[in-house]
Amino acid sequence: MSDTDPNSPSPTAPETDSRDARPDRRDFLLRLGIGAGVVAVGAQGAASLRALVPNVSYDAPTTVKLGAAREFPDGLKFLPDQRLYVFREGNTYHAISAVCTHLGCTVRAEALSQPETREVGGSALRLTHRFACPCHGSTYSGDGVNSSGPAPRPLAWYRLSVAPDDGQLVVDLADEVDRDFRLTLA
Amino acid sequence: MAFALKRTPSTPSAPGVHPQALWSYRPQSDREAGDAIVSNLLLHWFPAKVYKPSLDWTYSFWLGTASAALFFLLILSGLPLLFLYVPSVERAYASVKDIEYVVTFGWWIRAVHRISAHLMVVAVALHLVRVFLTAAYRNGIGRSQRREWNWVLGVVMLLLTLFLSFTGYLLPWDQLAYWAVTVGTNIASSIPYVGPQMRELMIGGREIEQATLIRFYVLHCIMLPGALGVLFAYHMWRVRKDGGLAKADREALLPLPRVEPATPTKTYTLLGVARGTAPAITSSSLEVPGASVNAVPDLTRRAIIVTLGTFALVSILASLIASPLEEPANPLVTPNPAKAPWYFLWLQEIVTDTTIKLRSFTINGAFIGGVILPGLLVGVLTAWPWLDRTSADVVGVWFARERRRQTLVFLAVLLAILALTIVGTYLRGPYWNFYWPWEAWPEIPARI
Repeated sequence: MSDTDPNSPSPTAPETDSRDARPDRRDFLLRLGIGAGVVAVGAQGAASLRALVPNVSYDAPTTVKLGAAREFPDGLKFLPDQRLYVFREGNTYHAISAVCTHLGCTVRAEALSQPETREVGGSALRLTHRFACPCHGSTYSGDGVNSSGPAPRPLAWYRLSVAPDDGQLVVDLADEVDRDFRLTLA
Repeated sequence: MAFALKRTPSTPSAPGVHPQALWSYRPQSDREAGDAIVSNLLLHWFPAKVYKPSLDWTYSFWLGTASAALFFLLILSGLPLLFLYVPSVERAYASVKDIEYVVTFGWWIRAVHRISAHLMVVAVALHLVRVFLTAAYRNGIGRSQRREWNWVLGVVMLLLTLFLSFTGYLLPWDQLAYWAVTVGTNIASSIPYVGPQMRELMIGGREIEQATLIRFYVLHCIMLPGALGVLFAYHMWRVRKDGGLAKADREALLPLPRVEPATPTKTYTLLGVARGTAPAITSSSLEVPGASVNAVPDLTRRAIIVTLGTFALVSILASLIASPLEEPANPLVTPNPAKAPWYFLWLQEIVTDTTIKLRSFTINGAFIGGVILPGLLVGVLTAWPWLDRTSADVVGVWFARERRRQTLVFLAVLLAILALTIVGTYLRGPYWNFYWPWEAWPEIPARI
């Protein structure tokens, strides 16, 4: 800026005060430029981040046919693909999730030396196993209730039903049920 | 000067232009030593002169230089791996297995990469410990020092180092990888309200699959090393702007060498005896002759020794220690016990022990031990330069008496972390139960 620039403050020009109060064109364009830059970078950054949030998740189906109900063994069967334990006692069935409620490892079933019968959800349930997590040592009793370790909640119970077309046992992994749930087949 | 004249090179035509194009390894004069820095891009973040005491091997242990050397070695050894590794869930494990067993020297490159990563965690952590114990995050006597910001940068770089390791061990797609990511991302999802979305963003969906692998791959190969490289450059620039190591400030605070007043032991004139004066030196200790040395070759030589020494150590260790590769990732079976790498074992231990139960109300240990406690630790660590109210005298002193209390607390936290790591490494067995190291683990059927 030279001395002849009318915008430049100089000791001989006392009207510089009005310059502070009212931004001139140069200031305005400068702020406009910075603002546009910030908006552009911000919007592009936001768009890039948003693109990383999946809109579609190709999850496995939550309703899965597990096979003919009569082919399940009495007691427990582990279904690794669904990370699910299915229990059969005569003609009643229930299913307990194998996903630890602490940090999502797969719990293992340990057979009890002495099966016990306990009142679970209003009806008697024969407990043949307990569950233990290999990652942080949570343990659960046979009905899925957390008994020790860091697990904050009981294991999930899922709804079982019978497929109307071929009579297979069906689990709905999106439908958690209370521990009084029993599927009784005629 | 006499040495410079001896060599009779073509004399520089302009100031700063050095006859030797690259740099002089054996400068013949102070001027040449200074020019070596100025004319060399790689040496630009070095000062022309350094404080001699800050070059002590036992002051800094050169841990920062070693960390940097390991970072470069990781980049160097990562480049060939980029050509050999395939980031696909179907082929990742097999490609790592090929690197290990088929590619000529592949095992060695992988071992160098893996051992450098482990050592870098160690070196960076020890570097932080050193800076804390010498109060080097404090400003001394220099003008416009911002050492506290360099400390913050350092903490961020430590976190990046850990995150680089974490993203790295997912890539082989073996059991360790799969379950570490399961646990790690579930810790993120334990945060109330935003947690599940954060997990979904991290793993690119609701299941740990191809999207997860490619995300961690890009983070590991581009985003995190890039960020670490930029921060490293800034870190070094700040060290330079802050006047070098904190010890240099310390040296400047030392009392000036006393200039003895002239004593009339020998008299040549009657006048001298009468006045009792002699030529007096007025200089600060910063300018005491012999206090500083030229960066070339004293600093560069040591930096090269540390770098080559680090490379040699890693190379030898890589030849001796085989890199493990567990079974291929199996979402259906969790290994028993499922252990994190050693530097995360203390967190695994905390996550195990911190679930809080108040009657019907339960807070998951994942949130307390995985998010809140580490968050607090990092927060306090970051803010420490502003919380430390001791005087500037402690800057650059190991275990300064004035800081005894904070030194003890810091060491106590460090010891606790170390103890938890040892517990996790040696005392935890199947189902994360306690076992003595000499105690046999029970037989557990692999399948039900």
